This record gives sequence, C-alpha cells and structure tokens, in this order.
Amino acid sequence: MVEKRNLIISVGREFGSGGHVIAEDLAKRFGLPIYDHGMLDRIAQEKNVDKKTLEKYDEKPVNHFFSRTVSGHSSSLQDNLAQMQFDFLKKRADAGESFVVVGRCSETVLKGYKGLITFFVLGDSDVKLRRVMDVYGLSEPEARNMMAKKNWKRKSYHNYYCKKRWGDAANYDLCINSSRLGLKGTADFLEIYIRTRLETEAGGQMIKK
Amino acid sequence: MTAQVLAVIIFIVMFALIVADKIERHIVSLGCGLVMLVLVFGICMRSEAAAAETLSLQSFFVPNFWFQAGETAETSTGINWATIIFIAGMMLMVEGMGHSGFFKWLCLEIARAVHYRTIPIFITFMIMSAALSMFIDSITVILFLAAVTVELAQILRFDPVPMVIAEIFCANLGGSATMCGDPPNVIIGTSLGYSFSDFITNTGVIAGISLIFVILFFYFSYRKELLAGAEGRGEIVYPNPREAITDKKNFMCSSLIFIVAVILLITHAQTGLTVATIGVFIGALTLLTAGNSALLLLKRVDYKTLLFFIGLFVVVGGLEQTGVLESIADLIARLSGDNAMLMVAIVLWLSAIASAFVDNIPFAATMIPVIRSLAAAQGVDLSVLAWALSMGTDIGGCGTPIGASANVVGISVAAKNGHFIGWGRYCRHSAPATVLVVFISMICIYIRYF
Repeated sequence: MVEKRNLIISVGREFGSGGHVIAEDLAKRFGLPIYDHGMLDRIAQEKNVDKKTLEKYDEKPVNHFFSRTVSGHSSSLQDNLAQMQFDFLKKRADAGESFVVVGRCSETVLKGYKGLITFFVLGDSDVKLRRVMDVYGLSEPEARNMMAKKNWKRKSYHNYYCKKRWGDAANYDLCINSSRLGLKGTADFLEIYIRTRLETEAGGQMIKK
Repeated sequence: MTAQVLAVIIFIVMFALIVADKIERHIVSLGCGLVMLVLVFGICMRSEAAAAETLSLQSFFVPNFWFQAGETAETSTGINWATIIFIAGMMLMVEGMGHSGFFKWLCLEIARAVHYRTIPIFITFMIMSAALSMFIDSITVILFLAAVTVELAQILRFDPVPMVIAEIFCANLGGSATMCGDPPNVIIGTSLGYSFSDFITNTGVIAGISLIFVILFFYFSYRKELLAGAEGRGEIVYPNPREAITDKKNFMCSSLIFIVAVILLITHAQTGLTVATIGVFIGALTLLTAGNSALLLLKRVDYKTLLFFIGLFVVVGGLEQTGVLESIADLIARLSGDNAMLMVAIVLWLSAIASAFVDNIPFAATMIPVIRSLAAAQGVDLSVLAWALSMGTDIGGCGTPIGASANVVGISVAAKNGHFIGWGRYCRHSAPATVLVVFISMICIYIRYF
C-alpha cells in the first residue's frame, strides 16, 4: 500500500530574480496552492478584518526604534503579522497540506516538517535590473533603487526571525541562479530536483494534495 | 573622572541595547550591572564599600526592611530589594487571580451590568482599568481587559481599537495613583520612604481629577467611531460571566487574597508592615491556597522582569556612587535657578517626554537620586519633586505605543486578533490626552504645594 505524504516547497528569492514566477510555475506543475501575499486574504478572512490593513506590514522588517517587546508581546505590527503568517503556515503543515510558499522565512519556520524542500533563487545583477525595468516600467536608477530597497527589507525581515542568514547556501536545499537557465529553465530544473527527491526519499510514494 | 565616564558609557550602552531590543533586557541589565561592578567599583574606584552599598544585601537584616514603627522616611540606594520582593509577591497573586478566571469574570459582569451597551461599556471599562491598575500591574490588567474587549467587540459588532487605546491610557493613569500601581511608583516609594497613603493623597488626587477629564476627552474623541458599528446587531448570544470562572475554590481564594492585599497596602503606614513584608505574605498566601497549582504559579512568575530590576539598580547605583547623578541634579538646579516651580516643571515634563520614548522604569530609577540631590542642595520639598517625577514617568508613557509596558501588551493583544494599531492611530488621541494630563498634574502641584 502506498502512503500519501505531503510536499511543501519553500522558495526564497532576491528581488528581480523571478523567484515568485518560478514558485507559481512549480505550484501549477505539482497542482499545489501557493501561499504568498495572497495568504493575507485567508488571514483577513479568519480574523474578520480588512486585508488592506494587513498589506502595509507584510514581509517588512521590525523597526527597533519604534517598537518594543514586553513579556513576549510586541508592539510591532510587522512582527505581529509575521507571527500570524508563521502560525498559518504551521497549521497548514500540521494538517498535512501540500503547498508552495514564497518567502516569509518558510525555510526556517517549517524546518522539521516532512516533505519540506527549500530553494533560494538569486540572479545576476544586470539581468535582475533589466527584468525589474521591464516588469515595473521603471528607469534604470529607479529600478536599481527599488531592488536595493526591496532586498534590504527582505534581508532584514528574514534575519530578524532566523538564525541563519538570508540567501546563505547553508540555509537551503538548493540555491540557484535564475539568470543561467531563464525562468522556465530554472523551473524545469527544480521540477526534476523535486521529483528526484520525492523518489529518493519516499520510494515513489504519492503526493498528498 | 575615569569612573564617571565609564559609568556613563555603561549606562548609555545599557539603554541603547534595551531600545535595540535584540538581546533580552534582563540579560542586558544584568550584564551591564556586572561590568559596572567589575570596572567601576572594582578597578576604577577600588571601593568594596560602594559595591556593598549598591548590592544592598545588608538591607535584609535591618528590622526596618520588614517592619517600620511610626512615620519614617528613610531612603535607600543601590538594589531596591523591597521593590523586587513586593513585585514578586504581587506577581504570584495576579497569576493566581488570572488562573481562576477572576479578570474575565469581572469584565463580563460589568458588561452585563450595563446591558452590553457600547458607550457605557467604554466608560465603565476605562474606570475599571484605572481602578484595577491601582493595585495590580497594568500589564496584567490590559492583558485581560483588551482580550475581553476584543471578544465583546466581535459579539456586539463595534471597533475595539478606541476602547483598547482608552483602557491602556486609564491603566497607566490608575497606576500613577498608588504606590503599588506602577513600577516607577514602587521604586519611588520604597527608595524615598513614602507610604501608600502618601501616594493616594497626592498622586491619587491628581490621577482622580485627571481621570474625569480623560473620560470626557476619550468619550468626545471616540463617540462616533464606537457608535458606528452598534446598529443592526441582529441576534446576539451574550457570554455568561460565570463560564469565565475556571475553578470556583481558587476564584474565591484569589478574590479574598486580593482584598487582603488591598487592605494591607492601604493600612501599611498604620500597621508598620513594609511593602516587602506585604509582598512575602501575599505571595506565600497565594502559594499556600493554590494547592497543586502552586508550582505552576511559581513557574509563571516573570523572573526576567525581577532580574532586569536587579541589574538596573546596580547600573544606576554606579551612576550614583560616581557622582554622575549629582552632576545632572546640579544642571537642573542651574537651569531652574532658585525657582522651585520651574524645577518641578522641568522634572515633570522631562520625565514625561523621556518616558514617552524610553522605558520609564530605568528613567525613574535614575531620576530618584537626582531629585534627592536637588532637594538636599536647593531646599525644595523632596515629596513635591517625587510626585512630579511619579506623574511625569507614569503619564508620559501613555503618549506613544512604546512608552509603557501596558501600551505594548494592549497593542499586541489587539493585533493578534487582527486589529492593528499603528503609531498614527495610537497617538492621534493618546498624545493630546497625555499632554492634557501632564498639564493638569502641573497645575494641581502648583495650586497645592506653592
């Protein structure tokens, strides 16, 4: 008898590397739901609040000078939202759900869960710059500025909650430069990796959807 | 001179690390306290006596520590063990009360008594927040009150944020009314030798007058927001307060212990029992009546806060022993000239502004030796400066989301339930209310003591 097991694909990414597009592609290929900023819809629904309120604080670093922690309670709204998202992911994983998750320290938060496969997608600076200019219709200085800001925020957010650094190869199963194979080629490569991992680890067990 | 510079550097590093919030604050204060003992007292001053005075272990063996016959105004320096023992005892009592469901029961009973109408709940919860905070630490009060407010808001369909903000403000205001209401007051009272009745007849009166203005202020500020969702409630199933009680026997015991604690605190100037003795007695009584839960209650005590206090007192002791705080007192004296009214204003507003942004506990602990020096050198009544410091540190913290522990806990409880209170929303009404209360305090002090 074949035992069903869950698959959780965690994708960390540099801004402009196309990591999010790759994560969406992988979700389609494996028929899994994707948890990214859309996770806020679910949280807003659960808490019966407006999603727009939550969006302002999503994946943002905690500001040490404008927040304080008292007996485990934090006044930082970024921190409170991050904890809600971590709880949301853990609940799904506990329930045996399979999904793809983008960022949100998921490689650390979900560490220890069976079926977790973690990636970090990076890219060459010039390729990322061109992509950001194309996708957002920005000039070169604007795109460079946006990349620097977004990456700083993601790095600060990640490093606040995780011992291992953002983008450090030791923190992920695989770090991949999307500029080498392109977005589709990278997704193809990652799909092969995931299928090989599943076959190796579970001897061809089925994925639980 | 080297000792002074080192002491100031250690103090600044401690403050910066507390603000940075990267390392837990008790580790920061204990670490800085240890560095202060080794570098300042050991290497620079080579003074065993100064170190011993700061550690203040001898205070346990002085009869006055446990029992004070008659009116005494003895002041202490270094680690204020009376504060630590008292807070530990009260922590045990509060844990026992929370464990039995006392706070939730009280909130729901009051909501029921006002027939679950939004505005009366708003006003009674503000008064309850202030009244409970007079005897119980404001963190615990807000922890339960904010949670019940959010729960009621869901049932009664109103926005809980205005109510939570007003409750936070009133918890801080209530804390300023008594010696045991807020940690700065416990430190001021035990360090300068003031009793419960000294506080209630001075800061208590100011807090009472301010509460009337604060209720009116928040009522007019939030009335529309609160009433917005109250219409069209439809079918509502109201919560039963009795269901909040988890253990009837424990509930009765903890309610009785709370009443005993209030009586002992109110009468401690007459009975001669010090707050340290009251803390030990209340803590022991809670443990004895807790039965099997005693170990659980002991485990739940916030030891980190107690350790934070110990480290903090050592660091402030270092500043005091090296004469740094005397220099600050000289500076304030020079700024105010011989004008005692100006001196009070400086202490009050400086404390309020500083407490709005930094932890008011280290600030109060630092300022106590400063006002003591000011009173001694300038001939100003120490008690007047103490009331100004108390009101400034307790109320200043209301102004921003990070100013006081109750603010942080209230905002966190609301956020966990999806109600995000940012700086803008918090400060819009709380900052003007803070200025209003500090102003009222200044006027009250001027009218009564000058």
